Amino acid sequence: MGSRNAKILVALVVLCVVGGGAYVAVAALAPNETSTDANPVAAADADAPVMVRAVDPGDTRLNGRVFVVDGTVTARSGKDLTCERVYYAAGHGLCLGVAASGVEYTATTFDSKLRPLHTFTLTGLPSRARVSSDGRYGAITVFVAGDAYRGSSAAFSTRTYVVDMAAAKPIAQLEQFQVIKEGKPFEGVDFNFWGITFDPTDSNRFYATLGTGTHHYLLEGEVSTHELKVLRDGVECPSLSPDGKEIAFKSRMGSSDTWRLKVLDVATLKDHPVAERRSIDDQVEWLNDDTLVYSNGTNVYAVPADGSGEAKLLIRDAGSPVRIESGEKL
Amino acid sequence: MYQVEASRALLKPRLWFRRPEALRVSRNVFMLGLTSMLTDVSSEMVATILPIYLVFSLGASPLALGAIDGTYRGAAAVVQVGAGFVSDRWRRHKQVAETGYGFSALGKVALVAAGSSVGGIGAIVAFDRIGKGIRTAPRDALISLSSTRDNLATSFGVHRALDSVGAFLGPLVAFGILLAAPARFDAVFFVSTLFAFLGLAVLVLTVQGKPWRAPREGTPPSFRRAAGLLRESRFVLLLLAALVLSLTSVSDALIYVGLQRNVDFDPAAFPLLYVVTAVAFMALAIPIGRLADRVGRVPVLLGGFAMLFVDYAALLSNDLGYVGLIVCLVALGAFFACSEGVLTAVAGAALPDDLQASGIGILITVVSVGNLLSSLAFGALWVTIGLQQAVVVFAAGLAIALLIAAPLLVRSQRSALNG
Repeated sequence: MGSRNAKILVALVVLCVVGGGAYVAVAALAPNETSTDANPVAAADADAPVMVRAVDPGDTRLNGRVFVVDGTVTARSGKDLTCERVYYAAGHGLCLGVAASGVEYTATTFDSKLRPLHTFTLTGLPSRARVSSDGRYGAITVFVAGDAYRGSSAAFSTRTYVVDMAAAKPIAQLEQFQVIKEGKPFEGVDFNFWGITFDPTDSNRFYATLGTGTHHYLLEGEVSTHELKVLRDGVECPSLSPDGKEIAFKSRMGSSDTWRLKVLDVATLKDHPVAERRSIDDQVEWLNDDTLVYSNGTNVYAVPADGSGEAKLLIRDAGSPVRIESGEKL
Repeated sequence: MYQVEASRALLKPRLWFRRPEALRVSRNVFMLGLTSMLTDVSSEMVATILPIYLVFSLGASPLALGAIDGTYRGAAAVVQVGAGFVSDRWRRHKQVAETGYGFSALGKVALVAAGSSVGGIGAIVAFDRIGKGIRTAPRDALISLSSTRDNLATSFGVHRALDSVGAFLGPLVAFGILLAAPARFDAVFFVSTLFAFLGLAVLVLTVQGKPWRAPREGTPPSFRRAAGLLRESRFVLLLLAALVLSLTSVSDALIYVGLQRNVDFDPAAFPLLYVVTAVAFMALAIPIGRLADRVGRVPVLLGGFAMLFVDYAALLSNDLGYVGLIVCLVALGAFFACSEGVLTAVAGAALPDDLQASGIGILITVVSVGNLLSSLAFGALWVTIGLQQAVVVFAAGLAIALLIAAPLLVRSQRSALNG
């Protein structure tokens, strides 16, 4: 290497260190604008309080505070609780979001005053969250990168965890459960699990989705035995009704990433579509035994579960809706 | 005589960063390693935060990124062979490598300028992949041409060790910046761009384009002559050996998934598997390269693939424990250190000087096809006959592959010596 080149290189290194350092320093001292002023607005009477996360359609960076809407906004979280996905039951809240650093994903439990309690790190992008109706278990689905069996290092697969809500830590992972199909053990390298919904009368029991190849199986599982049983194909992101008799889910149209919302009868496993005609990618929530609520990413809508009527706008600028039971104090 | 020399060497200050000779490799190899290290810091910084940036700042579906990457990976494989031949044909390895590194650097600029559209991000990932496809073969040819027959594997060891240091530092740098300036992704992109250009600058300013082993006269190699490599027994035997070995080795990602199902550890610790393997690879790449140059590259290469038996055994065991887990991750790191770089060194020794980049390009493509087929086959077996049975099939396959590859490689080396 000529000494002239060496000098140029040293000059470039100095320039980069100074330039990069200055840029980061200015960025570090600039005011932090990660908090939100987005305001969910009730567009129709829901007959019951609904918890949502705020969505600002103008600037997606300013998302995620938790609101409780009951005709008007009745409660909202502080800057310290911003979520990509939120759920709440029996005094136990679960919020999945990005850590303040911006590079870590975290799960945070919170109380009935919307105050954060405990935080733990997640291994991927938050996708789904649930809490059993007795507040004992939580469920988390995240997207992770880097499972090369899909032929690409950036392909995403999922991990689904069961969380002990009081201890605020994962206690089981569905990937380690035994799957049974038609009475026999069922294994596969491309197994992906997502979208747990707990039985409202027995939090040990739950339903979830298993994706493998082009199939999306509805699973029935138990936390205590680590067993999962395949019930039928074509069901993603199941959600049990409060009376435990029906499951709302998204049904994939062909092989594309478009979905229709449907409801199936738990006893017969037969399904019918609801009146929502748009493609919805969400784990649906039940407002009561007759009505579904869900988000298209920017607003929350409601539709009758029996296939009648039509979808109506319920809350503007909101996502991740959660039914709040009448006995809850928020 | 020997003793005197040795003690004099001891008296000299061993500033390895100023005297790459202390590592027994040429300055060119060391500088190419630095280039890769800086470029990897740059790419890994972005790769670490890209998913979170896409989904939380741009509201894109995480599946979009996977689709983009899969598409361009295929393109990169085709570019690889072409870029290898072109750099031999024009005798411009350095310039072709510069073009490849330049692609990635320009991609980072585009990220700073237009990082707020999903389509823009797609174009940048494409740029990065194609750039990687362009640069790999000419860069490895430069490493080979800058080495002597005696330190070829050490050279590749040094290069791969530096490269993996970059891959290790990248996420830490990104994390550090976002810790200081929360959610300021633009600062990460900016610093990443600086690293990419520094890497390019090291290549342009310090790497010799015509290392001494490079042919200086005669007609440039024709396409026919390059294609004729596929009729030369020493190279074809090597390709066959590489193919059977890559077909029977399970990818690391699949091993991690398998281990995770067999060993009952905290799911949150999953990323640690990658870290332990990467550290083992980083630490072992140079000593194993030296060992390969001293005792023979073929035995070390075969020994590296035999390391996989440790991991296959781990996948079959029901009660591994933490010690067993660490042993099997270190074995995986040793497998990486013994396989990819050493294989390229074997190829470098078998190939004529004027067709280094073409031959290495072909080899890399063959290995990646083998790896892809192996992943598909392992996945299919796992689904149909179960994980443990699939591992047994692959272990038997690897044993047979080693028995086939050993004589192939020995014969390839012998004809290389005679030819």
